[in-house]
Amino acid sequence: MCLAIPGRVLSVRDDAGLTMGVVDFGGVRRDVCLQYVADEVAVGAYVIVHVGFAISTLDEEEARRTLEVLREMHLLDELDAMTASAEPPSGDAGSGR
Amino acid sequence: MKYLEEYRDAEIAKSLITRIRARATRRWALMEVCGGQTHTIVRQGLDELLEGAVEMIHGPGCPVCVTPLEQIDKALAIAARPGVIFTSFGDMLRVPGSHSDLQQVRARGGDVRVVYSPLDALALAQHHPDKEVVFFAVGFETTAPANAMAVWRARDLNVKNFSVLVSHVTVPPAVTAILDAPGNRVQGFLAAGHVCAVMGWEEYVPIAARYGVPIVVTGFEPVDILEGIAMAVAQLEDGRHEVENQYARSVHRQGTPAARARVQQVFEMTDRKWRGIGEIPMSGLRLREEFSAYDAERLFGVADLSVTEPEACKAGEVLTGRIKPRQCPSFGTQCTPERPLGAPMVSTEGACSAYYSLVKHRAAEQAMVAP
Repeated sequence: MCLAIPGRVLSVRDDAGLTMGVVDFGGVRRDVCLQYVADEVAVGAYVIVHVGFAISTLDEEEARRTLEVLREMHLLDELDAMTASAEPPSGDAGSGR
Repeated sequence: MKYLEEYRDAEIAKSLITRIRARATRRWALMEVCGGQTHTIVRQGLDELLEGAVEMIHGPGCPVCVTPLEQIDKALAIAARPGVIFTSFGDMLRVPGSHSDLQQVRARGGDVRVVYSPLDALALAQHHPDKEVVFFAVGFETTAPANAMAVWRARDLNVKNFSVLVSHVTVPPAVTAILDAPGNRVQGFLAAGHVCAVMGWEEYVPIAARYGVPIVVTGFEPVDILEGIAMAVAQLEDGRHEVENQYARSVHRQGTPAARARVQQVFEMTDRKWRGIGEIPMSGLRLREEFSAYDAERLFGVADLSVTEPEACKAGEVLTGRIKPRQCPSFGTQCTPERPLGAPMVSTEGACSAYYSLVKHRAAEQAMVAP
């Protein structure tokens, strides 16, 4: 079972010695056991949830960095494509890059 | 949904595909370990979009699919007993045993209930002290922490009528078994992202070094998978074989230490039989002796059940990537999700069910455009 999704911690409580919390998944809220990430989470943090348990925390800084790299890569590819199609059809094979 | 939808960006996906195709100077064979990853690949047609540059060989990362037939039969035997509430994850219901499945046991009067979390099963035990509540604890390392906590909690709260039927397997021994198999074609791996979220990735470092294969810890969305593939192909083209982490937003080097600690307290390593592969030493988990009161196999006396596999189901060959689902003669004919011959056709992480959905989807599309 590998299916787990990210959610945002809305509240944290102690349930007879077990750290539990309410986590929001894009509008859907569920009760989640936060015991394994208790030292790292606070309200507003993101966690990865699998069968009702937070199995790790989501590093928002890392997520931002990954997306930035990917978007930059895509932008470069777009620019390459634009440059290639903007070259004059003069038969001069070496123009541009 | 935040931190999910961004990784489904079609434009970024296209760029990654272009880059992979540009970088590959030959066709590489990669294995994605996790069934969830298989589903994304097949559903999005990523393997087709990468044809010629990368072949994706589907791995055995479907815990339901690799559960031996006898474990399913044990579950059915227990579920049929009066006074038992048998609980499991939803997709176990139609996994076929030798003669039946949980859904049929339920139809004949067995109290079989689907739960989302093992803690739900524990709560059922607390609410029904007159019943024996059993939870079918199937899974990889991703699920072990949840199951460990349920057992730990049962002991803490002194719940006497809760037990687990354990069928836990671990990934690294399966990866080495695949690499050791004669005729192995896999040249690199996409490691299971959520298994590594729990375990970290240290275990893969000696495997990458010993076998000379790149191993990239990868997520589950299309952009994650493509980025993982791009990283693996770059390593192969460069002649490198290291462990890299594509899924860095969710996977930290040390994993989740508290989760690993609880698993170690409740479970210990054991030899396990993987359906279609055979026994892999030290590849599974069993309850430690001090938790034997929660072991359903002992409580219900089903420990010595043994069964032979039916001929028609080629799950073993699919799970080790030797054949693709559509190469199985029963695919789509004798074997469908409604009447499956084996687990891969009915599990949400099974390769056969992934291919079947795609075939059905395409047939529906064609029906729509046909004059």
